[in-house]
Amino acid sequence: MHASTTSQHALTQPRLPGEVKEVGYESMTVTKVPDWYGMIAWDALLNGMATGLFMAAAVSELAAPAVFKPVAKVAYPVALVLLLVDLTMLVFDLGDPLRFHHMLRVFKPYSPMSVGTWCLTIFSLPLTAAAGLSVLALLGFDFEWARILAVIAALPFGFGSAAYKGVLLSTNAQPGWKDARWLGGYLTNSALLMGCGELLVLSAVMGNTQATDILRTAFIVLLLLNLIPLGLLFANLQLAHARLYTPAQQWRVGLLLFATGVLIPLSLTLLSGGLVFIFVAIIFLLLASWSIRFVYIKIPHTSPLALRSG
Amino acid sequence: MASREKELSKLTQTSDPPGGQLAQVAERVTYPFRHGEPPKPQTPTGFYTDTTVCIGCKACEVACKQWNQLPSDGFEWSGNSYDNTTELSASTWRHVKFIEQFADLPSGNGVSLNTTPGESILNRWLMMSDHCKHCLAAPCNQACPTGAIIHNEFENVYIQADICNGCSCCVAACPFGVITRSDMGGHSHKCTLCYDRQRDGLEPACAKACPTQSIHFGPIDEIRENARKRVEELHRRGVPQAYLYGDAASETYSEMHSFYLLVDRPSVYGLPDEPFNPWLHMMGDYARSIVGGLAAIVALFIALFLLRP
Repeated sequence: MHASTTSQHALTQPRLPGEVKEVGYESMTVTKVPDWYGMIAWDALLNGMATGLFMAAAVSELAAPAVFKPVAKVAYPVALVLLLVDLTMLVFDLGDPLRFHHMLRVFKPYSPMSVGTWCLTIFSLPLTAAAGLSVLALLGFDFEWARILAVIAALPFGFGSAAYKGVLLSTNAQPGWKDARWLGGYLTNSALLMGCGELLVLSAVMGNTQATDILRTAFIVLLLLNLIPLGLLFANLQLAHARLYTPAQQWRVGLLLFATGVLIPLSLTLLSGGLVFIFVAIIFLLLASWSIRFVYIKIPHTSPLALRSG
Repeated sequence: MASREKELSKLTQTSDPPGGQLAQVAERVTYPFRHGEPPKPQTPTGFYTDTTVCIGCKACEVACKQWNQLPSDGFEWSGNSYDNTTELSASTWRHVKFIEQFADLPSGNGVSLNTTPGESILNRWLMMSDHCKHCLAAPCNQACPTGAIIHNEFENVYIQADICNGCSCCVAACPFGVITRSDMGGHSHKCTLCYDRQRDGLEPACAKACPTQSIHFGPIDEIRENARKRVEELHRRGVPQAYLYGDAASETYSEMHSFYLLVDRPSVYGLPDEPFNPWLHMMGDYARSIVGGLAAIVALFIALFLLRP
């Protein structure tokens, strides 16, 4: 008669007498885990890739138009495609995807999801214009002033679209997530890092050596800068990780992520400015970025703990 | 509820939109944007649940299921005392919990006898009918991006089922694990505090069915006063552990319009000891997010500016 109550969703087999473990509710996790699984990890990655690529291209073009204009004109359509894939995933992650437009019936500044939805919606409009005008420019119909205007208009909303995601995933009651004070700082910073990396690949593919050389240095700076919010995030999650994983597991995963996300991309970028080196470096960076997001999303789903602090 | 909803949805309603696929699509797209007149505010109401008189009959669970036409969740032996309901969910809005506190139980198994050295160990059952706390500053309401979750005219937290799109933000936000998303329909559901009955001047079905008056319903100020008197009475009668949970705001959480009289630590009943509203962190989280992004933009801009030909 005395046994623990597990989540209804997890209870698939009748309990046997030998399985009796605990009494009452004290060791149970109070909160319910939302149905946010792997798709949200992909969404967090694609959101960063899309907004980061746009922001990196916009900042580069505004800082040194003579060097970066050609690569920026390719970057905007790529960012739009990434954003559309991301938005599709967001819609299909809803319980009722046909009601996705209900998000736009109100604006609630204290709901990170509402802020994010509005930022993404508004961002998509000038981004579409910038991407369309970039394609037209590549076809020979250049409306330079209109394109630059669209890029400037999209910048604050692109930044907002990148910044809301971490706040959404940390402003809640879920074990682990609720302690991640630096998740937003890490994700926004990481978006710029990934965007710079993507822009670097594009410039290398286009054979723009001047842009490639400058972006290589900028990428290394951002890669090292990103270690600060990542370290702070890791410190935030230390308690949650300690309860979920053994110290050996934490070291293994930590070293693997550090090697994949920092050491390998750094070494390859330092070693050569060749396309293959840069491409492999960015692939490793994206792999590590996805892994970090996946590990984070997994925390409340895998928690066997009773993190009972509301 | 969902199966009943399906049956009803097949019937022609006088309020049905005009026929034609295009008209239906247009109606579906524009409908959520039409905001009606909000009803006039009424006297705030709520629940006060006195766990000391609960006998675990589950009449409240049955009444809730019956009135709200909630489907059965099937039946499985949980092995946790008489609690085979196991948890609140989209189709279970009342959940009676059973806690067995007996001296012959092995220690360290989550049992708190709440006794001081020298005090006699109580051999007792604790029972509690759990439900939505109808928080005054409800994290679910704050999280909801569609405006589906509102405080209605009775200051109860209410989910507008026709607006919810199943984003699950409310599920993640609730520190009490009350809300879940239904597998059927994909929308979030929870206790409405029998909004429909209240509008007709009736008390909620669970309070009506409770045979021991463990569940009190009424104007929030009135039941709060009654609850405090009850605590004093229990203290006089030799139950010094009695206290109210959620009747007043704490530093980290607002008052709740459904509060409890408990005689052991909240965690023994499966409640957070110190509920925390995640929104207390939101501004700081936004600030860190902006700082993280701006630092990268500034670094990128400086690097590009310095290195440009």
